[in-house]
Amino acid sequence: MRKVLIVDDSVSMRQMVGYTLRQGGFEVIEAEHGQDAIDKLQMSAVDLIITDLNMPVMDGITLIQNVRKLPEMKSKPILMLTTEGLGTKKEQGKAAGATGWIVKPFDPEKLLQTVAKVLP
Amino acid sequence: MKIDLSQFRQVFLQESADHVASMESDLLALRSAQDDTELLNAIFRSAHSIKGGAGSFGMTSLVRFTHSLENLLDRLRASEMQASDEVVDILLRSVDVVRALLIADADVEMPAEALELAEQIEALSNAEPALAQAAGEEAEHPIENEREMKLYVVEFRPDRELFSSGTNPIVLLRNLASLGTVSCCHLHTEELPSLADLDAAKCYLSWTVELASLCEEAELREVFEFAEHLAEISIQCAASPQPVDAPLPAVNLPQQTSTALTTDRAPALPERKPGRRKTDQVGDSGSIRVAIEKVDRLIDLVGELVIAHVMTAQMVEDFEPSCLPKLREAVAAMERNTRELHERVMSVRMLPVGTLFQRHARTIYDIAQATGKQIRLEMSGEDTEIDKSMLELLGDPLIHLIRNAADHGIEAAEVREAAGKPAEGVISLRAFHRSGRIVIEVSDDGAGIDTEKIRNKAIERGLILPTAQLSDEQLRMLIFEPGFSTSETVSDLSGRGVGMDVVKRNVQQLNGSVALDSEKGRGSTVTIELPLTLAILEGLLVRVGDRTLVLPLLSVIETVPLRDEQIVRVAEQGEVVMIREQSVPLLRLSRFLGLAQDMTIAGQTSEEAGNRRLAVIVEAGNRKVGLVVDELLGQQQVVVKSLERNLRKVDGLMGATILGDGCVAPIVDVAGIASMNLFAIQSHALLPAHREGTVLSNTAKRT
Repeated sequence: MRKVLIVDDSVSMRQMVGYTLRQGGFEVIEAEHGQDAIDKLQMSAVDLIITDLNMPVMDGITLIQNVRKLPEMKSKPILMLTTEGLGTKKEQGKAAGATGWIVKPFDPEKLLQTVAKVLP
Repeated sequence: MKIDLSQFRQVFLQESADHVASMESDLLALRSAQDDTELLNAIFRSAHSIKGGAGSFGMTSLVRFTHSLENLLDRLRASEMQASDEVVDILLRSVDVVRALLIADADVEMPAEALELAEQIEALSNAEPALAQAAGEEAEHPIENEREMKLYVVEFRPDRELFSSGTNPIVLLRNLASLGTVSCCHLHTEELPSLADLDAAKCYLSWTVELASLCEEAELREVFEFAEHLAEISIQCAASPQPVDAPLPAVNLPQQTSTALTTDRAPALPERKPGRRKTDQVGDSGSIRVAIEKVDRLIDLVGELVIAHVMTAQMVEDFEPSCLPKLREAVAAMERNTRELHERVMSVRMLPVGTLFQRHARTIYDIAQATGKQIRLEMSGEDTEIDKSMLELLGDPLIHLIRNAADHGIEAAEVREAAGKPAEGVISLRAFHRSGRIVIEVSDDGAGIDTEKIRNKAIERGLILPTAQLSDEQLRMLIFEPGFSTSETVSDLSGRGVGMDVVKRNVQQLNGSVALDSEKGRGSTVTIELPLTLAILEGLLVRVGDRTLVLPLLSVIETVPLRDEQIVRVAEQGEVVMIREQSVPLLRLSRFLGLAQDMTIAGQTSEEAGNRRLAVIVEAGNRKVGLVVDELLGQQQVVVKSLERNLRKVDGLMGATILGDGCVAPIVDVAGIASMNLFAIQSHALLPAHREGTVLSNTAKRT
């Protein structure tokens, strides 16, 4: 089963994205912020990361930059969870190495389609 | 597959309530640290999270409002503007709006004040109105026209760095293919270097795909949405439907991906759920969030308890007298486990008192704004934990106390300066543990309480006689009497000074006590003392007549043998006992609870019986009372069962418990007794309510 890491400081958002992905047949692990995500990645590699951008401790952009430095995660897809109207953030994310984005509030079916867009 | 996210609404609301609270306290902190980017970031994140989740539950007004708020916060964060007092004030009012919108129905219209505030925010942040923007977004999705088959030539020439973004070209091509039928796919390998020069992390390939599809060009482009910045993509519509030999519409008719692309063009917000009403709001959700470690420890303990039980049961089964020491040991282990389990379970209900304090930072801010006073709030011991239900019940009393301190206690800046005090008044909230109880103190460095004024007012209100001789302390306690007010001007903020009696009553309901200390010109301190929990208490078991009663051990100061010569009868009023030259009023529990008819006041019982009796000296709210009992039976933890729920409220009793032998034992309400007029009770016949005490017969067995 393919494994997805969800990174968001909001419990409800993690639960919603996680639930949607499990319904879509993915295994899900969660992290509260960038540093937590990096720690979790040390323990197990994942097939996809979905990350919020605004988080305490380590924000999403920094996380993406750091993930791209991990050999086994160099070319794995990363989706940003963003709200619309944050154009510059999205650009920064892309520059950091994000694969794509999901707009919050997300539609569950649309989320699964977006995941299909980046996962083989 | 329809995925329903509405089950997460409660979690979202609870989380958002936390966000609102932290936004509020962060904003208050921001006033004294205008450039603190960490604070601004935290506030932004809170607004952002609320907005992100609100959309999932169709809370459109909330989304729009938090969107405006976010724009303003973003500008503050980017230091494009200053978090002036005016801005902070607007933000604080916005927090109120967000709080209200969270409680409101999902589909509520934005109230007028919210709209006005949103406009103000938008004006400040020079942002496009969120409303217009939202409308614009919806307009982006035109109604679908009838589709016709088109032939496309798609060229996809990725940059060398494509892989570094995690993009897999195979996935893109596969997704493209799913939109129609690929008639030709050409792979360009011209740029592929020799093996020696090849860098496996770089992309050297490009593709040309011919695709027959019912989709519009934009939908094809959407496949490459994430790769646009990393590739050259050209899409040409080569020709209109070609009459071809093979019937083209053998095309996989838009399946999963494309159907979704077309039908999903509904406005971004999901359907409203009219069925969801105010029942699942933030406040009284009756749920509690518990750290996983706490739950894990509980499970461990239950495991140990089960093992201990199995061992005990085994020993009882094969019992022989030599097993006794082992059995004792096993029972002791079970007791240890049970006790720890009790503590842990209780800690599940415990929440830090800080959440309660935080709320009041805002109260003080509002009062300071309204009165023009300068008030600073200091807090300590926010981490002190207290039972969740108590935390909720403490909200109102605390608000009364804080309002009183801010409104009546702290003086206007000029008055303070004239008195040689700093212009800024300080209200401090402290919480700490003291001998197994929680103490919450509200103090101010304001004018203090003028006992002369209280005295005059009390005489005026007929609460005391003009000739009454009362100590300062007793005079101060009068403000807790119903209908007492010392403020000369009635203000909107703390009302008419009613409330102090309510404070006292609420705290007593929690088995707590209130004390007031004040010095004229220096300030006042109100101290609330509460038990850690309401559910279990350490009890002193006493015998009165043939009944067993429980006294809360925490209120017991000492036990003294009672001799008739120590008892002084006060004419027409009752009895007091002299203990170390202090007179303590006596209450005969047997008589008070109507347990035994043959007990009468001192002098009339036989000397022998009188000499065997004991007085348990208890204290509540600075008043001592000696309770006359026949015997001390021991001390143990008792589980408090409500009388009100099972019988009705009985004055003088706070509940009952079930003892080890199955008997029901009433628990004496020490605070209640201490606040009664003992002399009146003793010198008159039993009040009807007290006679009901006999209902609580000791012999009633647990069913």
